[in-house]
Amino acid sequence: MHEHSLIANLLSRIDAIACQHSAKRVVGVSVWIGALAHISAGHFREHFEDGSRGSLAQGARLDIEVSDDPEHPQAQDILLRSIEVV
Amino acid sequence: MTETTRTIEVNQLARVEGEGALHLAIDGGQLTVAELRIFEPPRYFEALLRGRDCREAPDITARICGICPVAYLMSSCAAIEDLCGLRVPAPLVDLRRLLYCGEWIESHVLHMFMLHLPDFLGYPDAVSMAREHGDLVRAALRIKKAGNGIVALLGGREIHPINVRIGGFYRLPTRAELAPLRDELAFALDAAEQALVPLAALDFPDFERDYTFVALRHDSEYPMGRGRLVSSDGVDLPVARYDDYLTEHHVRHSTSLHSRTADGGVVHLGPLARYALNHDRLTPRARAAAAAAGLPPVVRNPFRSIQVRGVEVVLALEEALRLIDGYVPGDTPAAAFEPRAGIGYGATEAPRGVLYHRYAVDAAGLITDAKIVAPTSVNQAVIEADLRHYVEPNLHQPDEALRAVCETAIRNYDPCISCSAHFLKLTVERR
Repeated sequence: MHEHSLIANLLSRIDAIACQHSAKRVVGVSVWIGALAHISAGHFREHFEDGSRGSLAQGARLDIEVSDDPEHPQAQDILLRSIEVV
Repeated sequence: MTETTRTIEVNQLARVEGEGALHLAIDGGQLTVAELRIFEPPRYFEALLRGRDCREAPDITARICGICPVAYLMSSCAAIEDLCGLRVPAPLVDLRRLLYCGEWIESHVLHMFMLHLPDFLGYPDAVSMAREHGDLVRAALRIKKAGNGIVALLGGREIHPINVRIGGFYRLPTRAELAPLRDELAFALDAAEQALVPLAALDFPDFERDYTFVALRHDSEYPMGRGRLVSSDGVDLPVARYDDYLTEHHVRHSTSLHSRTADGGVVHLGPLARYALNHDRLTPRARAAAAAAGLPPVVRNPFRSIQVRGVEVVLALEEALRLIDGYVPGDTPAAAFEPRAGIGYGATEAPRGVLYHRYAVDAAGLITDAKIVAPTSVNQAVIEADLRHYVEPNLHQPDEALRAVCETAIRNYDPCISCSAHFLKLTVERR
């Protein structure tokens, strides 16, 4: 159930950044998932689609890169790389 | 007209946050409110069990937790077996205890070294801690892996094991299959004793409370899969009378039910309670490890739960080796079982404390009612009480420092909301 909290945190950041740039909508989101982040790309996508309903990122294209390097200093983390806005 | 898109580089970490929240109200320097709010969405397991065959209860409830599925398997089996008057043969009881040892080892070690120790050493997480304490983290991971090995072999897989059923198991391991676990468990036992040494040197807050400890107690063994319900203030009941002693009630600020005794008292479940009420049941090396760590027979400082968990890891490893050495496969993997109508009660010692299951079953073997009380739910009230006592002298601290202090105090209980670096949203209302 931590996914709910994770996605909520991510979406609040996306919304804040979009508002900061006076964006009307978020049309693309790019994330990097560490090898030890305990969530698969498919699982992340499912939760993102569910959690983003009603947010500026509803319907946004989601680009996910999954790392396979457990030695990476951010192997446990999920990184919001960029967002594409209109 | 097409809209122009712009790409904004962000490169920020997403965090698991806000599994729990603590609301403090401070009025004129006095703490007036300390409410721990858990807002993990309700999951309705008790409701979805209704109408299911009672034989499915272990596998359904095991999905409640990925860290302690064995506890759910064991408590649900205990309840259905109680209902049917089923006596599980001693070799199968031993094998279940071995499986439980595996879960205790992996769950305790995960909490101690990946979640709790970074708090004491001032690291944001285990990965940061590993850079300077690599040997300790590697040893911890290897101990944990030894526990995982037991669960994988006896349970069929490491997470949500599938080899447990009412009356026993689906398949019994051979002695030859168990033998390879032995060397790694023996290494882990030595390593677990060694790992307790640096823990004894930690700077624990000077904080003790007079808890009402509640745990299982058995005639001859440190409790895991069976026992009576006992407390530090003299309660001694069969598990079937659990509901007479503890009742659940809903509080507005949490999606997780609170539990109180009939007279409104708050109880403490988990390692400190088990240890205090069963110190005379410790295995020899666990007893020696407790003494070497300077632990008295009753530990009332919740911050020292990290050490008590370490003692329980030593005990679980010792027990695992004993059970493997004495294992003789029985003739049958499970006692024969016919469902019948009635109510069954089961409680076992999950790593976090007593896990209670109660099922009502009809003549067709279908569950008509289920009640599951997880230890984290019961411990909420004692966590809140700890926070009130612990936060009061620290009210002068800035909110961020206060949050770190509160997180550590909450993590003492290894609650199921703490598996993240920063799980607590702290709101402080200063008037």
